Amino acid sequence: MNTKMAVPMIRKESKRENAVPGMKLSGVVRVIFVVFMLLLVAVELFPLVWLFDFSLLKSGDFFGSDILKWPNPAKWDNYSNAFKNAHIPLLFWNSLFVCTISIVLIVIFSVAMGYALTRMQWKLRKPVLALIMAGMIIPIYSTLLPNFIVFNEIGMLNTYLALILPYVAFQIPISMYIVSGFMETIPKALEEAAIMDGMNVPGLIFRIILPILKPAIATIAVLSFLSCWNEFIMAVTYIDKSSLRTLPFAVVYFMGQYSSNYGAQFAVLAMISIPSILIYLLFTDQINRGITAGAVKG
Amino acid sequence: MHKIMSDRRTIFFLIAPGMLLFAMMIFIPILVSFYYSLTNWDGVGGYEFIGFGNYKEIFSHDSVFGYSLLNSVLLGLGLVLIQHPFSIIIAMLIQYCGRWEKFLQVCIFIPAIISTFVTTKLWSSIFDTQFGLLNQVLDILRLSDWKQDWLGDSTWAIICIIFVCMWQGFGYAFLLYYAGIKGVPKDLYEAAMLDGASPIQLNTRIVLPLLAPVLRVNIVLAVVAAFKQMETVYLLTSGGPANSTQFLSTYLYSKAFRESVYGYGNAISVLLVVICLIVTVILNRSMRREVGEY
Repeated sequence: MNTKMAVPMIRKESKRENAVPGMKLSGVVRVIFVVFMLLLVAVELFPLVWLFDFSLLKSGDFFGSDILKWPNPAKWDNYSNAFKNAHIPLLFWNSLFVCTISIVLIVIFSVAMGYALTRMQWKLRKPVLALIMAGMIIPIYSTLLPNFIVFNEIGMLNTYLALILPYVAFQIPISMYIVSGFMETIPKALEEAAIMDGMNVPGLIFRIILPILKPAIATIAVLSFLSCWNEFIMAVTYIDKSSLRTLPFAVVYFMGQYSSNYGAQFAVLAMISIPSILIYLLFTDQINRGITAGAVKG
Repeated sequence: MHKIMSDRRTIFFLIAPGMLLFAMMIFIPILVSFYYSLTNWDGVGGYEFIGFGNYKEIFSHDSVFGYSLLNSVLLGLGLVLIQHPFSIIIAMLIQYCGRWEKFLQVCIFIPAIISTFVTTKLWSSIFDTQFGLLNQVLDILRLSDWKQDWLGDSTWAIICIIFVCMWQGFGYAFLLYYAGIKGVPKDLYEAAMLDGASPIQLNTRIVLPLLAPVLRVNIVLAVVAAFKQMETVYLLTSGGPANSTQFLSTYLYSKAFRESVYGYGNAISVLLVVICLIVTVILNRSMRREVGEY
């Protein structure tokens, strides 16, 4: 990514935009087209259907010639077993805690920095912006080894902070990018008027910018949730105390205890993915806008 | 107005905490990494400085490092030459789906939203030799001879990994182009239709050129993502069998934590950062020229 990226416009999609004029297919072309699209959906979704199907099977049912088996009877105990034995409530709580704190910090930092970088005038603005944007290119994993040693030295391994701080740092560039793109669309006249009335910068941020910024904040919150919720490598590297582990660890637990109980392992996988799918279905537009903001206006 | 908006103290309070965190978590660690890359530390006892010894070793004797780079390049090529053209085509086609458009878009994106941990466990079950979906499908298609120990074979393992990366990232790639196409002004379509352009002409002559800037950013992102790749590989094969699926980030991880050559791992880590920066600069430079020709 270059550092001189143009400001993304966050469009509100109108209904008119969705319809491409004069595009109707007919006959054989239409049939081929429908089959092709269905095939694509099948390739993307079938593995997940398979996952949910197998999560309801007895372990013995796995071996055989059918691809999908009607679970008969559906083994819901896989879920209740997994729930109990894989310490799901504890892991769930840890994930939720780490995510929530991270999201709050990400929002605070990206609004504060975004405001200073897009609305205020100062000399080092450009180099600072370039530095933050370089954070998008630097691979997270290149900080694994040094952070492990540093955290170890200062006794931060096996604390929530060891996850929260890097999660926040690595999510700042993209979040700040989305937030400042949105800020650019707010007319400067609003602030000028407020300054005439004697308002200071914190007042401007809290009373004027924040209320308008709500959709952008929702977007970065959802994106941050997904990235923190799904993170695995840092959680494995920086945490080895069982009481602090996050959700992806559930399967590791389970594989150890029931190495051949595939049904239960699949149930754990299903339980981990359900929150993400729900969040996605609830916030589809927010997620779409966030992901496309940076890359489309490039 | 100007005085308030350039007040140094306010700016400091807005920027400093974030920058401090940023420096602590990203920039200082890279410097620390560089420091340890000049040592022969094993992670526990004492160590001594060996200058650029680790780097020399990497460039002169370490064939696995070469493999890791090659694998990243392969993945990058897979993303740029297969995933992206395919997702552009799908993003164009989906415009013709009428009221199913939104539904299809959601279906295509769902794999991208699920944690890599889940999808890789899922795919390693699909590739499983005993109950895996893939071998079962081959049985049903009467292609039993094609059955493989997919992740246990060094040639197939890397192909499987590239496939899983493409499968999971497809939703993202698709969404980027989909949004780009949605941004094409509708009057352009209408004008072209009035001039008698067919849908194919419309998409290749009007939409595609307008997508060029989007394409440029996304190719950079895809190639950098290929070099950064870690979780999928770590969870599917951990770089095995026999290092055949090693990527730079899995390699540095296994050097430092499995083989306890911490200094050496850090040298790989530093090279990873350098490579990502170089690749970004080169791609940005070269493609800016290309786009200029439109």
